[in-house]
Amino acid sequence: MQVTLKILRFDPEKDKKAHFKSYEIEADPLDRILDALNTVKWYKDGTLTFRRSCAHGVCGSDAMRINGRNRLACKELVGDIGKKITIEPMLGFRILKDLVVDMEPFFEKYRSIKPYLINYEDPPATERFQSAEDREIFDETTKCILCGACSGSCPPFWSNSEFIGPAAIVNAHRFIFDSRDQGSDERIAVLSQSEGVFRCRTVYNCTDACPREIPVTKAIEQIKRVMLYNR
Amino acid sequence: MAIQTPERPKTALKEPTKRSRWTRTGARPRPTNAFELYSWYFFRVSGILLLVFALTHLVVMHLINNVEVINYDFVRQRWASPLWRTFDLLLLFLALTHGMNGVRTLIYDYVQSKGWRVFNISVLYIVGIFFLLIGAQVIITFNPNLPSLPAK
Amino acid sequence: MYRGQSGMWLWVFHRLTGVGILAFLFLHVADTYLVGLGPEYYNELVFLYKLWVFRLAEWLLVGAVLYHAINGIRVVLMDFWESGVERHTQLVFGTLGLFLLLWLPAGIFMLKDVKWFA
Repeated sequence: MQVTLKILRFDPEKDKKAHFKSYEIEADPLDRILDALNTVKWYKDGTLTFRRSCAHGVCGSDAMRINGRNRLACKELVGDIGKKITIEPMLGFRILKDLVVDMEPFFEKYRSIKPYLINYEDPPATERFQSAEDREIFDETTKCILCGACSGSCPPFWSNSEFIGPAAIVNAHRFIFDSRDQGSDERIAVLSQSEGVFRCRTVYNCTDACPREIPVTKAIEQIKRVMLYNR
Repeated sequence: MAIQTPERPKTALKEPTKRSRWTRTGARPRPTNAFELYSWYFFRVSGILLLVFALTHLVVMHLINNVEVINYDFVRQRWASPLWRTFDLLLLFLALTHGMNGVRTLIYDYVQSKGWRVFNISVLYIVGIFFLLIGAQVIITFNPNLPSLPAK
Repeated sequence: MYRGQSGMWLWVFHRLTGVGILAFLFLHVADTYLVGLGPEYYNELVFLYKLWVFRLAEWLLVGAVLYHAINGIRVVLMDFWESGVERHTQLVFGTLGLFLLLWLPAGIFMLKDVKWFA
């Protein structure tokens, strides 16, 4: 089928402002948006720049705004999106070039919540035992692939670049609710700052955008409750 | 002749010079700051109370009565009862603080520069406390028997 | 522009109604202050509020308060009820439904006796 791709282009060496450029290509309805982007890059305009790696929805490199919503380009099918596809980089991040955004502040916020197991006891001879029920509690939040789709869909994240963002909170949740971890206090101290978890306004865009179907809003609400009940 | 690689153009990208608060403060342990937590909790508590107070006020003023009957005498009769006076005072206090806290979150969301943030929050506190005071003053000190301003 | 889902629009209106109600509140504290100055001043001002423009604004104010209150209840449910967040769509429909159910009849009741464009 004939598809029109309207892509937001920005070359920092040439352009002052980002602008849209349209491309007409032939695409199969079962192609992914990433395939369409590759068609443009290989056959129409080699200067088009975007991140991609695994191309099947697990690395999180190609999160972008597709028809106004944050999605992974390698997961969305052309047939599901339609004949007119608007592709833009994610909001809330500095655009480096075309669809590539600066993810460094995002990773800094991720690192600030100490995304590693903190346990002050000596390691036991076998593994640190964890029952299936204990594992179930934080099972959903282990799935984060750090694609940035949630943070890029969050209005408080757009307006306040210092807001720690849903992704960092989800990864903090993964450890705070892990029965083997003893570092909750340190992580909660990070999250209770003025730009921490309470900037969340329960908008719910994050849960909608997550390609791994993590219930982000639910995880954030659980963190808020934990902070309230432990005060 | 050896293959010449074209010289890479100087990139127009600039490293952001401002160091993020998350790298600056990530390492050392800090006391848990509960201000945001209490503010969040205050919204919920005052909100639930306001459900009762504000909706009662709405129903009494706009549904049971309406602006046709509200005048000085109406207010005088209402404030003859200490129950309604206390009610109005509590409503004023709850509504203004709930609203002020809301504007505070707006400022935190949209104003990041430290100087402007302090300025805006200060204006907010000054305006808020001023209106709280004049509102409370008229409710508490209202006395229909005292001489008011000279007749126009 | 981000095509957010219903929760984003509910939040936008929550903010708008909040600021709107606060702006009205300042006006209201100021006009109630006139009560302390005596009947001549207060009655003159309140007489203004009988104009049809203000009656319409009054209905919009009632709408703002109702919306902010009902959406506020939805937020509290999401915050304190474990399955609240899971039932997001149902809560959204409930919020909008309850709001319209209360606001529209209130409008009929409040505006039926207004002399329009008088």
